[in-house]
Amino acid sequence: MRSQRVISLIAIALAGVASVLMFAWPLFIATTNQNENLLAQTVFIALMPILVVLTLVEFSTGEIGSRQLAVLGVLTAVNAVVRLVGAGTAGIETAFFLIIIGGYIFRSAFGFILGSTSILVSALLGAGVGPWLPFQMMAAGIVGLGAGALPMLKRTLPKVILLIVFAIVASYIYGSLMTLWNWPFLAGSDTTLSYLAGAPLHENLSRFINYEIVTGGLLWDTGRAITTSILIALTAPALLATLNRAANRAGFKKLSN
Amino acid sequence: MRSLANRIHPGTWWLVGGTLALVAGSSSNLIAPIAICLLAVILILSFRENATWARSLSFYLALAGIVILIRVIFRILFSYSNPDSAIAILLPRLQINFGFGAFEFLGSVSWQSMYGALIDGARLAAIILAVATATTLANPRKLLKSAPGALYEIATSVSVAINLAPQLIESFNRVRRARQLRGKSKRTSRLAGIVIPVLEDTLDRSLLLAASMDARGFGRRGMQSPVQLLTARLLGLCAIVLTLIGIFLLLSGFSAYLTLAAITIGIIFGALSMRLTSLRLIRTNLTTQARSSIDYAIMILLLVLLIANFVGWLR
Amino acid sequence: MIQLKNFTFNYGKTETPALNRVNINIQAGDFVLVCGGTGSGKSTLLKAIVGLAPHFTGGTVAGQRFLADNDVTNAMPHETAEQIGYVNQQPEGSFVAETVMEELAFTLEQLGVPVPEMLQRIEKAIIATGLNDLRDRRLTELSGGQQQRVAIAAALSAGQKVLVLDEPTSALDPEAAHELLEFIHNLCRREQLTAIVAEHRIERLIDLVDQVLVVSNDGTVAQGKPAEQLARFTFVPPLIKLGQMQGWDPLALSIAEAREMISTPVHFRKIVYPHVQPQNIQLTKLSVKYGDLIALDDIDFGAASGEVVAIMGENGSGKTSLLWKLRNEIANTAMVPQQAADLLFLNSLSQEFADSDEVAGVAQNRTATLFEEFVGRIDGSSHPRDLSSGQQLALVLAIQLAKNSQTVLLDEPTRGLDYSAKQQVAEAIRQLATKGKTVVFASHDVEFVALTADRVVQLHKGKVLSDLPVSQALSHKGKLPTQVSQIFEIDGLIALEQLVLDA
Repeated sequence: MRSQRVISLIAIALAGVASVLMFAWPLFIATTNQNENLLAQTVFIALMPILVVLTLVEFSTGEIGSRQLAVLGVLTAVNAVVRLVGAGTAGIETAFFLIIIGGYIFRSAFGFILGSTSILVSALLGAGVGPWLPFQMMAAGIVGLGAGALPMLKRTLPKVILLIVFAIVASYIYGSLMTLWNWPFLAGSDTTLSYLAGAPLHENLSRFINYEIVTGGLLWDTGRAITTSILIALTAPALLATLNRAANRAGFKKLSN
Repeated sequence: MRSLANRIHPGTWWLVGGTLALVAGSSSNLIAPIAICLLAVILILSFRENATWARSLSFYLALAGIVILIRVIFRILFSYSNPDSAIAILLPRLQINFGFGAFEFLGSVSWQSMYGALIDGARLAAIILAVATATTLANPRKLLKSAPGALYEIATSVSVAINLAPQLIESFNRVRRARQLRGKSKRTSRLAGIVIPVLEDTLDRSLLLAASMDARGFGRRGMQSPVQLLTARLLGLCAIVLTLIGIFLLLSGFSAYLTLAAITIGIIFGALSMRLTSLRLIRTNLTTQARSSIDYAIMILLLVLLIANFVGWLR
Repeated sequence: MIQLKNFTFNYGKTETPALNRVNINIQAGDFVLVCGGTGSGKSTLLKAIVGLAPHFTGGTVAGQRFLADNDVTNAMPHETAEQIGYVNQQPEGSFVAETVMEELAFTLEQLGVPVPEMLQRIEKAIIATGLNDLRDRRLTELSGGQQQRVAIAAALSAGQKVLVLDEPTSALDPEAAHELLEFIHNLCRREQLTAIVAEHRIERLIDLVDQVLVVSNDGTVAQGKPAEQLARFTFVPPLIKLGQMQGWDPLALSIAEAREMISTPVHFRKIVYPHVQPQNIQLTKLSVKYGDLIALDDIDFGAASGEVVAIMGENGSGKTSLLWKLRNEIANTAMVPQQAADLLFLNSLSQEFADSDEVAGVAQNRTATLFEEFVGRIDGSSHPRDLSSGQQLALVLAIQLAKNSQTVLLDEPTRGLDYSAKQQVAEAIRQLATKGKTVVFASHDVEFVALTADRVVQLHKGKVLSDLPVSQALSHKGKLPTQVSQIFEIDGLIALEQLVLDA
């Protein structure tokens, strides 16, 4: 049982690092052949769903009983609905606050699953499924995973502040992950803002940041950070209490230690 | 046509979508992407069911159009200066610096470079429509049911969420209406005043659901030793890491053989891990749709298409 | 079949156990009624029988639980799923699948039954429950009674020999409820099914059951034959209460039996309908539309100060629409919606009280005082969601009344309440009326209406079907007779409270 738990922790940490790295390839790319490059990108799109599935299995193995499943279902549904309600307005992201608060209460593994299933269900319910979906699922999963790794504080106010700070950081991280994935696809490989195969890291990083600025990505991220922070400030005190009660009733306490 | 569509396994539609996307993604001319876009539209129009899960074709078409547009505009705005080819647009070349390194934009844009952008855009559009084919034609509920055992809990959770969502919208409306009966509170925000009752209510109900699911045998497991479980997790982890290494190798163009090896072993490990985790389930399944001869015929066609693509017949 | 020995269960929140040294023994094929007051531990007993307590509630257990002579004290519910099934109050909330067929297969799939056998068993269950025409329908399209049938069919197909149902008729109208309970009764006889049913409205099944379990507030449980158990039970319908008052032995368990027992002549107080007060509400041409659906069709509505008006009618007749319309048309109204808990969003009772006082701009403790008038003192740190449904209703009522409105509107105020809690709500409403307030409430519950209302407005498809003083509306000649009017069949006698007993 103990070795299970250690493995579990290592798996979570490793899978977390791995999932961030999945997005970062354009920064390190070295290929010069145009055709190989193309093939690589396509294979990458095809492999991403497999990776998402593997990570989800990794996180769910042995951790989900019927009670946890029910809570997961409810939070996913709320998230998906809330996300659909907020969709359409630039920079407004209404799903993150619940992923963060849920991840924080129910810890990393659950947070990851909650993040990805929320995105999946809202896509199935009308946001649309496309090649971007696995990337969104992975990135939102990372946000939930991160929230679950935050330290458990005793008092409500410090908790809320911690969550808001995390929300701001997470909004930019999510944004840059999503930009990283669409960067090679939308900018292509031969403009002054595209990644430059074989170039040193700082060169590509500079191009990436410029791409972020030009495409308004930073603006979106800022919008996301603001809305998420406001939503957390407005709801976290009440939500934390509610979800804590649910965690007790659903037998999560045993799981998170 | 629609009854035929019903007989096709949802997984097969995803294979169709995936193969078309792969072919589109690896093409270097305009013909293949355009052909695939047309094929996708024809498939969707002739097989789609009247259902809510499928976002409309027009949404995906619009998206495809926007992607092509963005790609071309991007090329016009930020192209490298290329004095050798025929110039289409001549604009003054400018330089800008946001503090993260300077970059140039505008300047002369060649026909060739715009054509290249068009191909790139068309390729992306074709990938989007190929995936759209799969999402529009494969019923996600059916797909969730044929999910591998290792994903069973998450698949169940997702279908619970899908069933719950319409009820939730109702509860939101009900609570919002009820909320106005009680004046404005200073202790909590308006939003929390709506979200909390909805959430409490749904959580209560979800725990009832969990109780009744458990009383109906959900959560039964076959015997599985801790060693097996551990092996499954380790294999899964290795699979993730190996696939990741594979992707990096692939994109760095380091060694084709090593890349192939990493990805193949990764996928095999992943499959093994899934197999091991699925062993603990003793469930049977009433509604699993068996793959029929139509499915196999389609699969053979797809295989031919893939081989043709990679041998180079289509180029 | 099922046996609890010295079974004690404690949620761990309080000193007193929810179930205290319970000893029961239920035979195979019995139809068993579980009754008790609100919050008495009725549901807990059911959950303990299935094994959901402690596994799904938390808490600690002492004693033993046997299922067909096997000790299953520590078994998780899914370990006993071949033998014992559980159907909760809202079947629509416990469905997992999309269609009837898939739902029926769920349990069998979990148990690993091979597909050919699964199909056979489902077929048998479908025939036994008469669901043949509904097999491919979506569960959400079914009526409440049909949904309950599906839940029962699912249990039957799984081969479960014991079926535990928590208030299966709470969302059903009297006719559907009767049909369902008859049906369960027949299953017990035909298929040797053991059914254990918790129910507030005892009168709906009292003449069908073999055994009664009475759960008391101290957590003890008594088992016995219906008539003998009910003779001592407090939370009973007028039919039983009449027998208790008259000291009938054995107790009359049906209207027909009671008719034979009563002695004439009967003395009773007439209900006088006062016509004289000034009109407080006077509205004409009220209409409500949702898209094409006409919920309320051009009706007139009036009520006097100090008058209590009940609005009755089947589901979808426009009761709720009328209440909301009144709420929007009349200034200074207080309203308690159907799901009263929708208005609760703070973390403790004392916070809710304080917030309510602030919002209403009244003196501190006003809300708390009102609340205590209804249900007595409760620890201020309790979470509002942990209160019983009656207590939640009282809380919302107190919050709404703190504003001192002239008109009070209530939508189905007796859902999930036992007879004594209903009595309390009725008294609270009468009190409001004596203070000169106008009370309008919607209800299905004829016995409650008989205790409370001066006048009954009956709606049908958005129109007023009838508007009569309560003694006429609920008389034995009408469509909504109370138990008392059915027993005595005397004009003007509708409630036990009217009877003048000869000393």
